Amino acid sequence: MNPRIILITGANGGLGQAIARAFFRESADNSVWLGVRGHREAAEKLASEHPGRCEVAALDVTQPTEWRDLVSRIVGQHQRLDVLVNNAGYHADSLLAQMTPEDWRGVLAANLDGTFHGCQSVLPAMVSQRHGRIVNIASLSALAAPPGQTNYAAAKAGVIALTQSLAKEVARIGITVNAICPGFIETGILHALGAEARKALLARIPMRRTGRPEEVAAAVCFLACPDAGYITGSTLKVDGGVL
Amino acid sequence: MESKEELRRRVKLMIVENLMLQVTVDEIRDQQPLFGPGGLGLDSVDALQLVVALEKEFGLKLADQGIARQVLQSVETMADAIQNCSPATPK
Repeated sequence: MNPRIILITGANGGLGQAIARAFFRESADNSVWLGVRGHREAAEKLASEHPGRCEVAALDVTQPTEWRDLVSRIVGQHQRLDVLVNNAGYHADSLLAQMTPEDWRGVLAANLDGTFHGCQSVLPAMVSQRHGRIVNIASLSALAAPPGQTNYAAAKAGVIALTQSLAKEVARIGITVNAICPGFIETGILHALGAEARKALLARIPMRRTGRPEEVAAAVCFLACPDAGYITGSTLKVDGGVL
Repeated sequence: MESKEELRRRVKLMIVENLMLQVTVDEIRDQQPLFGPGGLGLDSVDALQLVVALEKEFGLKLADQGIARQVLQSVETMADAIQNCSPATPK
């Protein structure tokens, strides 16, 4: 496989880290850029483990100017950008009746606006190359919205719709755009669950286990690989059979 | 120095190659509309590709949609815009 230039957002979290590691494993020649906001210790540590192949960059995905600057830096350095993984996002759950406008807007901004800005920023480079892979991390909440996540579910449903629409726009230019809906994955959020809550959670999963970040990362790598060139506008669930 | 005619031909070549059109350079007229009836039949995705190609191949940056709409009317308007942005090119 030819060496590729990959940009992953939200790279300080467990899923972002796993996705980066998967791309490192895919090819020793891949260069991975980690976009992070705020705390960057985990991303810096990962970069230090892959000297010369990994860079950490400050990126608030809600800020289009930060996107433009970062993509310009990457393209300036490598003359190309092959893969964008829009992974940054967070949730702030509460019933709609109690949800603050700030939590509504913040979750929409990070999850949906961030994906929009990311896609828009990389398009000139990918159009110019006539090649590109965009993988957007959505959520099962987009497909079966639970109570308490009106903001997050709406944002992630928006990500899926954006993915489908953009995929059609750029299909003939050689750019694919796909979404992944992770189910219950072993990241920080699940680690905080008590024993009873975990038991109830597992009962909802046909595989009777939670997913590993590496299992989501494998799906990201697949959708981003050259062999997946005829897959676009798709939404792939990685959920142990929940839906 | 490149003549206006040579520049128009380069613009046509850029259009055909970037959009992988099934027409030859000689079949495109200078004032032929790129979009709409009677034109080349391009669409908004083609326009996106042309905006990127103009910057890459001619250094012409189209700052907003309004300017892009004016410039992307025909080969003639594109060539004019390229000449106007490049002092080294004769008018």
